[in-house]
Amino acid sequence: MKVIGVYNIKGGVGKTATAVNIAYLAAEEGNRTLVWDLDPQAAATYYFRVRPKVKGGGKALVRDKRALDTVVKGTDFENLDLLPADFSFRNLDLVLEDAKQSTKRLSRLLKPLAEDYDYIFLDCPPSISLVSENIFRAADAILVPMIPTTLSARTLDQLLAFLGEHGQLRALRVLPLFTMVDRRKRLHLDIIERLAGDYPDLLATRIPDASDVERMGIHRQPLPAYAPSSAAARAYRALWDEIKTKLLAG
Amino acid sequence: MAQIACEYLIPDGIGLEDVKHLIRDRVRFIEDPTDEVTRRFLDSFDWRLYLDQATLEERLDAAGRRLVWRDLGADAPPRMQGIDAAPGFAWDLPTGPVRDRLEPVLGIRRLLPLLEVRSRVQSLRLLNEDDKTVVRLLLEDNRFRDADRDREGSLAARVCLLPVRGYAADLRETARMLSRDLELEPARNQVLSEALAAAGRCPGDYSSKLDYHLDGDQRADAAAKEILRGLLDTLEANIEGAKANLDSEFLHDLRVATRRTRSALTQIKGVFASELVEDYKTRFAWVQQITGPMRDLDVYLLDFDGYQARLPPSLRPCLEPLRAFLADHYDGVHKALVQALGSTEFKGLLTSWRAFLEAPVPERSAVRNAMRPTKAVADARIRSMYRRVRKAGRAITPDSPAPELHALRKHCKKLRYLLEFFSSLYPQQIGALVKMLKRLLDNLGRFQDTAVQVDHLRETAQQMQDAGGVETDTLLAMGALIGRLFDHQQQARVAFSAIFADFDSKPNRLVWRELFAPEGRRGQRA
Ligand SMILES: Nc1ncnc2c1ncn2[C@@H]1O[C@H](COP(=O)(O)OP(=O)(O)OP(=O)(O)O)[C@@H](O)[C@H]1O
Ligand SMILES: [Mg+2]
Repeated sequence: MKVIGVYNIKGGVGKTATAVNIAYLAAEEGNRTLVWDLDPQAAATYYFRVRPKVKGGGKALVRDKRALDTVVKGTDFENLDLLPADFSFRNLDLVLEDAKQSTKRLSRLLKPLAEDYDYIFLDCPPSISLVSENIFRAADAILVPMIPTTLSARTLDQLLAFLGEHGQLRALRVLPLFTMVDRRKRLHLDIIERLAGDYPDLLATRIPDASDVERMGIHRQPLPAYAPSSAAARAYRALWDEIKTKLLAG
Repeated sequence: MAQIACEYLIPDGIGLEDVKHLIRDRVRFIEDPTDEVTRRFLDSFDWRLYLDQATLEERLDAAGRRLVWRDLGADAPPRMQGIDAAPGFAWDLPTGPVRDRLEPVLGIRRLLPLLEVRSRVQSLRLLNEDDKTVVRLLLEDNRFRDADRDREGSLAARVCLLPVRGYAADLRETARMLSRDLELEPARNQVLSEALAAAGRCPGDYSSKLDYHLDGDQRADAAAKEILRGLLDTLEANIEGAKANLDSEFLHDLRVATRRTRSALTQIKGVFASELVEDYKTRFAWVQQITGPMRDLDVYLLDFDGYQARLPPSLRPCLEPLRAFLADHYDGVHKALVQALGSTEFKGLLTSWRAFLEAPVPERSAVRNAMRPTKAVADARIRSMYRRVRKAGRAITPDSPAPELHALRKHCKKLRYLLEFFSSLYPQQIGALVKMLKRLLDNLGRFQDTAVQVDHLRETAQQMQDAGGVETDTLLAMGALIGRLFDHQQQARVAFSAIFADFDSKPNRLVWRELFAPEGRRGQRA
């Protein structure tokens, strides 16, 4: 089982789109795959047409009152399951704070699923909090989607600095990537070029700014399910291939 | 959660379209395009998967080609794994969830095709208010084809209910709709069982284990014939597989049946004319002889990785020329085996042997034990062989020469076969005795097999040298291996006395005495 977090401190950068689409591609290849929607806004849950409801809320999960695998919902796609979000996840920080070994809870909750899944993708809420720290502890790698702006390098540096301050997190694999890239914008290309020099782990695949992606909310499906040969779907495929190669290379 | 039937039969005369209409009246669904699905069911010759309550199919459909493993006893989703070549041995499969589950069950046997089920499958996805798929229904038109026996035909059409995780209530509701509203009958059997029955095949019909149901009052010569017929059936069942070399177990089972035949001939004493016994004993010894070289090579190659593992890593590659040498000989030895098993001599042996075994016993026989009750003869034979085992076993000391241990092993084997032939005449306790005997035999086998392996290695080293040029490193590695084998043999030797003492313990002796005492004396000496 490989756990991959999709994370950025910033909101609206394409985290959910990335998590949902590459999870779909992983499952399509025959991998037993799970998406855990940790964001109370429940965007990933919405894309899979699942009700954003977990009995007992986040509390029941964190306090071991309810095992994760009893909450899992099958999606419309083979090999692809979802752990839905719940509105109570907005208080997950507080619940975690009360728990023992509060930074390792998520990791512990996921352990029993190791037999059932080849890949678990965590769709994370934007912020830096106890939830994010839990995600860093649980994940084998985190993907960091970024829109190319002058601030993206700063956000990435903040994240790396945070990880650097926490000994156990220094080994976490951080894979940044650019989303919503507009090739006609000189600024986008400049920013990407500059960052590529500074961050060797920056993924080469870029997800273009495409209205096909935005339509996920209308279709309520992963992009490759309704527009498999669109440019953006091809980009997600290339992205998933690149991630696998990076993860295998260790 | 209450068990929900997953498959329903569609009665004759009702088409899939009719069923679809009935469902459409009740729930909302979308149809996926119809798919042609071929399922090739697989098992080993001795039904290992069936006995493990599992099924394995090679499935070809629009999604590609993959293996699907189902545990029938458990409430677990099927395991799947993509493949791109016909499956055979577990170790040839790519690693994956099916191989993980299959390998310990299949062991060294090969997967063989059982039969094929071809289906036209219409998949319906039942939706809730959010247009989310909550249950899948497969409507299947099924046909089977048994290529080996050239049989085919249609099977009952089915509706299969596939759960979507987390939507148990919808699943229950759909099951209710199928059984109550549509009045469909839950299928009691898997499609594989139905197809096997339709093809006239009986799962589990081959086993290398003995399973007789004898009558103790029956004449001993008739019982002996029954035992020998069973062994002949086993021997014959394995000929084709051994010739085709599907896997090494065909020849192994054939040889075990031959050995048991010889043992039955000589150990169930005085039931047939002695000239006849002598004649067949010699002829079956010949079978043992012509099948020996191939078996030796099989054992060598099966053990090869184990051999290598015994050596320090730096020496392991030096053993590869030995593997290549053995592999080079393999085809020639196999060809000779095929020739021998196809010879008139071999065929003639089996024909005349079967004719003898199937002929009724003569009304009167002058042979000593022929007309005595089976139970009395079995008691006496087992008693006497048990005494020999004990005597020979007690005589073994740490300095006994190897031939004495070999002789003891032979007695033990004979005793074990006798117990197995006649076990149906005795209470269940006999199982424990067989087990204990097996432990003793394992120990003695370890000792002797190692001796045989050492001899083989020596011979092979000589042959390799004669064949011209073998690397010194290879000879040294073989020498090192011989050293390791001697260590191993020594360990078996050291373990012997404790294992024999267990076998020969007082409570155990009482059980033997009690079980096999002559009629009328039972219970007196306890
Ligand atoms: N490549 C893209 N091209 C165009 N629009 C995109 C692309 N990727 C995502 N979007 C759109 O941008 C918006 C934000 O995307 P998304 O929800 O994936 O980001 P997020 O980082 O998960 O946001 P949040 O932080 O709110 O969870 C959505 O409306 C989505 O449809
Ligand atoms: Mg999001």
